[in-house]
Amino acid sequence: MARVEVQNVSLTFGAHKAVDDVSIAFEDGGFYALLGPSGSGKTTLLRMIAGFEFPDEGSIRIDGEAVENVPVNRRRIGMVFQNYALFPNMSVEANVAFGLEVRGETGEAVRRAVAEALDLVQLGALAKRRPHQLSGGQRQRVALARAIVTKPRVLLLDEPLSALDKALRTDMQVELKRIQREVGVTTIFVTHDQDEALSISDRIGILKDGRIVQEGAPEEIYDRPKSEFAATFLGEANILSGEVSGGRLQLDATTAIALPQGTNAAPGRLRCAIRPERVRIAAAPTGVNGDRAGQLRGTVVRRLFSGSASTYFVDCTGREMKAIVQRGGGADIVVGSPVALDWDPADLIPLPAA
Amino acid sequence: MATTGTRRQNGLAKALPLLTPAYAWLTLAIFLPLSAMVYFSLLTSMSPSEQSSSLTLANYAAFFSDPLYATLLWRSLQLGLLVTLICVVVGFPAAYVLAKIFKGRAREAIFLLVILPFWSNSLVRVFSWSMVLREGGILDTALNAVLPFEVTFDLMYSFPAVVIGLVHSYLPYMVLTCYLSLQAIDDALIEAARSLGASRFTTLRRVVAPLALPGVLAGSALIFIPVVGSFMEPRILGGRGGTLYGTVIEDQFTAVYNWPLGAALSFILLAVVLAILLVSAPVLRKAA
Amino acid sequence: MIRAPAFLSGLGRFYIGLVLVFLYLPLIIMAAMSFNASPFYQLPFEGTTEWYAALAQNDGLIAATLNSLKIAVMTTILATVLGTAASLALFRYEFRGKRVLQALLFPPIAIPWLISGTAMLIFFFGTGIGRGLHAILLGHVALALPYVIIVVSARLQTFSKDLEDAAASLGASSWQTTRKVTLPCIAPGIVAGGLFAFAVSFDQFVVSYFLATPGQTTLPVEIYAAIRKGFTPEINAVSTIIIVFSMSLMLVVSRFFRFGGDQ
Repeated sequence: MARVEVQNVSLTFGAHKAVDDVSIAFEDGGFYALLGPSGSGKTTLLRMIAGFEFPDEGSIRIDGEAVENVPVNRRRIGMVFQNYALFPNMSVEANVAFGLEVRGETGEAVRRAVAEALDLVQLGALAKRRPHQLSGGQRQRVALARAIVTKPRVLLLDEPLSALDKALRTDMQVELKRIQREVGVTTIFVTHDQDEALSISDRIGILKDGRIVQEGAPEEIYDRPKSEFAATFLGEANILSGEVSGGRLQLDATTAIALPQGTNAAPGRLRCAIRPERVRIAAAPTGVNGDRAGQLRGTVVRRLFSGSASTYFVDCTGREMKAIVQRGGGADIVVGSPVALDWDPADLIPLPAA
Repeated sequence: MATTGTRRQNGLAKALPLLTPAYAWLTLAIFLPLSAMVYFSLLTSMSPSEQSSSLTLANYAAFFSDPLYATLLWRSLQLGLLVTLICVVVGFPAAYVLAKIFKGRAREAIFLLVILPFWSNSLVRVFSWSMVLREGGILDTALNAVLPFEVTFDLMYSFPAVVIGLVHSYLPYMVLTCYLSLQAIDDALIEAARSLGASRFTTLRRVVAPLALPGVLAGSALIFIPVVGSFMEPRILGGRGGTLYGTVIEDQFTAVYNWPLGAALSFILLAVVLAILLVSAPVLRKAA
Repeated sequence: MIRAPAFLSGLGRFYIGLVLVFLYLPLIIMAAMSFNASPFYQLPFEGTTEWYAALAQNDGLIAATLNSLKIAVMTTILATVLGTAASLALFRYEFRGKRVLQALLFPPIAIPWLISGTAMLIFFFGTGIGRGLHAILLGHVALALPYVIIVVSARLQTFSKDLEDAAASLGASSWQTTRKVTLPCIAPGIVAGGLFAFAVSFDQFVVSYFLATPGQTTLPVEIYAAIRKGFTPEINAVSTIIIVFSMSLMLVVSRFFRFGGDQ
C-alpha cells in the first residue's frame, strides 16, 4: 500500500500527444477514478503507472521510489484488465497462484494465500474450475483475487466492469468498494462511465486530450465544475452564456438572469452551468406580458419519461433548456405547453473562461 | 483504448534474436539459391569453377531461337489454365454445398474427407491413376461389364490422363479456398437478397459469387503456378504425350546436364508466372 | 437460413458424393491391387499379401523409408522451433519492415518446387554444400518453415496480448510469461504446425529428387525411380502404406487444428 505520485508526465505516440504534462497524486488507501472519453489518455496514464508504457518526460513515484524506468514485472502492482485476461490454460486456483509462484513462493503459504483471496471474493467453491466455465461476474472476481493476492502496492483497474450487463455492474461496484475497503490498497480505476465514477470512488480525475481537467471529490466536481467540459461530462448541465452587467447575466437583448450572490465577475462574457434537476418548471399562462415569474419562459418541445423522473426539453426562444422533475413532484406538463423555468440563483455555476 | 506499448516500439532489437534463425535459414535455402540461379543462367559452361566460363546471354537466346521451348511453355500454360478451370468448375459447387447445405459435424467430417488426400503423397496419388486409366485397367473393365457393346478404353499416356491426374492432385486446394470464403458469408446476406425478391440464381450471381471471388482467385493462383511447373505428373501419366516445359527443365538437370540452360529456362518460367500474377494483381486486390 | 428445397440439397449431397468418389476411387483401387496376386493387375481378384512380404526384403526401399522418417522428424523439430520463435517475434513486436518479412514467407510456398529444387541444386553444388541427405534436410526445413509460421501465427491471432500483460503485471519475467502462459495457450497451433512440417517433408518429392544422390535418397524419390523403371506390385504396397500413414497423421492434425471449421 502506497502513495502514487505522477509528476509532469508526458507520452507521445508519433504525432499524437496521448498524455500531456499530467501531475496527480493518489493518496495511500484512496479509491480514485480516472474518467474521460475514449482517447483522453486515461488508459495510457494507467498503463504508465503499471509499467506497460514509459513516459517520455516526467516521473512516477510509488511510495517515494521513482519507478518510471522499472519494468512492469518488478513494480509490485496489481492490475485487472477489461476482458479479465484470465489464463485459459489454468484453473481458477492456478490463476490466482500465478503471481506468487513466479515470485518463487511455493507450498502451504501459496495455498493459504490463494484460499484467502478466493474467500474474499466469495469464490472459494469454484477454485478447481477453468475460466471458460465461469460467468462474467465470476471471472471478474477471479481477476480481482489474482491481482490482490500478491499484496500489490497499488491496484490498477482498466474499465473492469464495462463487459458486464447493467444489473451485474451495479452489484460489482458495491462488491469492489467493499473489497477495496477490506484490503485497503490504493486503487486507481479507469472508466468512461460517469455514474460508475461518481458512485464508486473517493476522488475523481477528469481527463480530456491527455490533460487532467479537474481533480477532486465526486460531490465537489459535480457541484463546482471548473469547465464546461467537466460540467457536461460528469452529469448533465444547461449552459447559459451572456454578458455580465450589474450583477446580472444578460443572455440577449430582452433576457437577463440573476448571478449568485457574491459573484464578482468582471464585466464581459461569462458562461454558467445549471444542473437540470435544479431547474423548476411550472405551467405559465399564455400571453400575459410583464409577468416576471421565473427566470426564463419557453415551450415544452419534448418529454422523456424514465420511470423515477421526467426530463423536459424546453425551447426558450431558440435556447434549449433541460429540466428534470422527480415523479410525483407536480402535475405532468404536456408537450406544447408554455412554461416558466426558475431556479435558485445560488445553483448557477459560473464557469471560468476556457 | 487500445494503445500499442512503448515496449513494442523499436521492437526490432527484441525481435531479431527470434527472427534471425528462421529467416537466415530461408535465405540460405531459398533466396540465395534463387539468386544463384539467375547468375548461373548467364554462364556459358556447366561448372562455375572452369576457367572458360564467362557471362553470356546465349541460354536465353536459345529459348527464343528454338521454337520448341516457346511451344512447350505455351502448352504448359494452356495445361495450367485448363486444370485451373476444371478445378473451379468442379470445386466451387462442392465448396458451396459444403458451406451452405451441410451443417455441424457432417460438414466437418466431409470437409476433412475432401482435403485429406491433399496431404497424402501426391506422387503416389498420381501413380494410382495409372491403374484406373490403362487399357485393361479398372475403368475399361468396369465399362465393358456394364455396356452392351465392346469399347476399348486407354487414356493412359495421353494429355487427358495428365489433366485428370493434375485435377485430382489440386482439386482439394480449390475446395479449401472457396470453402473458407463461402463460409465467411453471413447467411443473413443470402436471406436479405431472397427477401428482396431475388431468385436463388440471382442471389448466387449477385451476392454469393462476388463475395466468394477472393477464394476462387486464391485457389486459382495456388493451382496454376505449380501446374505450369509440373513435370512428375506428365512423366508418369503422359508418356510421350507428356513432354512439357517442366519435363524439359528436368532433363537439363538430370539427363542432358546443361545446367545453365536449365537455369535460364527455370528463370523464364518464374518470370512468366510472376508477370501473370502482376497483370492479375489489380483484379486480385480488388477482389480481396 | 433459407433451407434449400429437398431436391436441391439432395442433388448437392449426390454431387459431393461424386467428388469424393473421384478423389478416393483411384486410391482404393491401388490399395485393392496391392492385395491382388496378379502382378499385371489382372482380374479376377485373387487375394495375397506377398507384395507386402516382398517389401520386407527390399533393402533399398527400407533404407529410403528410414531416411524419409529421419528427415521428416528433424524437419519437424527444426521448423517448429524456428517457426514458433519467428511467429512470436512477428506477433509481439512492431518494427519497420515487418510486412516485408511476412510477405517473404510466400515465395517458398508459391514458387513451383521445380524452380526451388533446381535453384537449390545449383546453389548447393556451387557453394560446396553438395547433395545428399543434409541438403535435403536444408531444403525441407525451408519449405516447411512458412507453413509453421502461418499456422502458429493464425493461432496467435486468437491469443490476447492482455494475457501477456497480465502475467507481467503479476511479476512474471518475459521468459516466465512465454513458458507459462503464451506457449501453453498456443500449444494446439504449435502441434498442428509441427505435424504440417512433418507432412510437407514426408511427402516432398520434387526438391528431394534434385538433391538426392544414389545412396542418399528418400522414399518418394525411390518410388519415382521404380515407377519409371516399370511398375511393380511392391510399389502399390508401399504406396498404400504411405497413404494410410499420411491420412492418419492428418486426421490427428485435424484434432488440433480445425481447417476452417465452424469457428
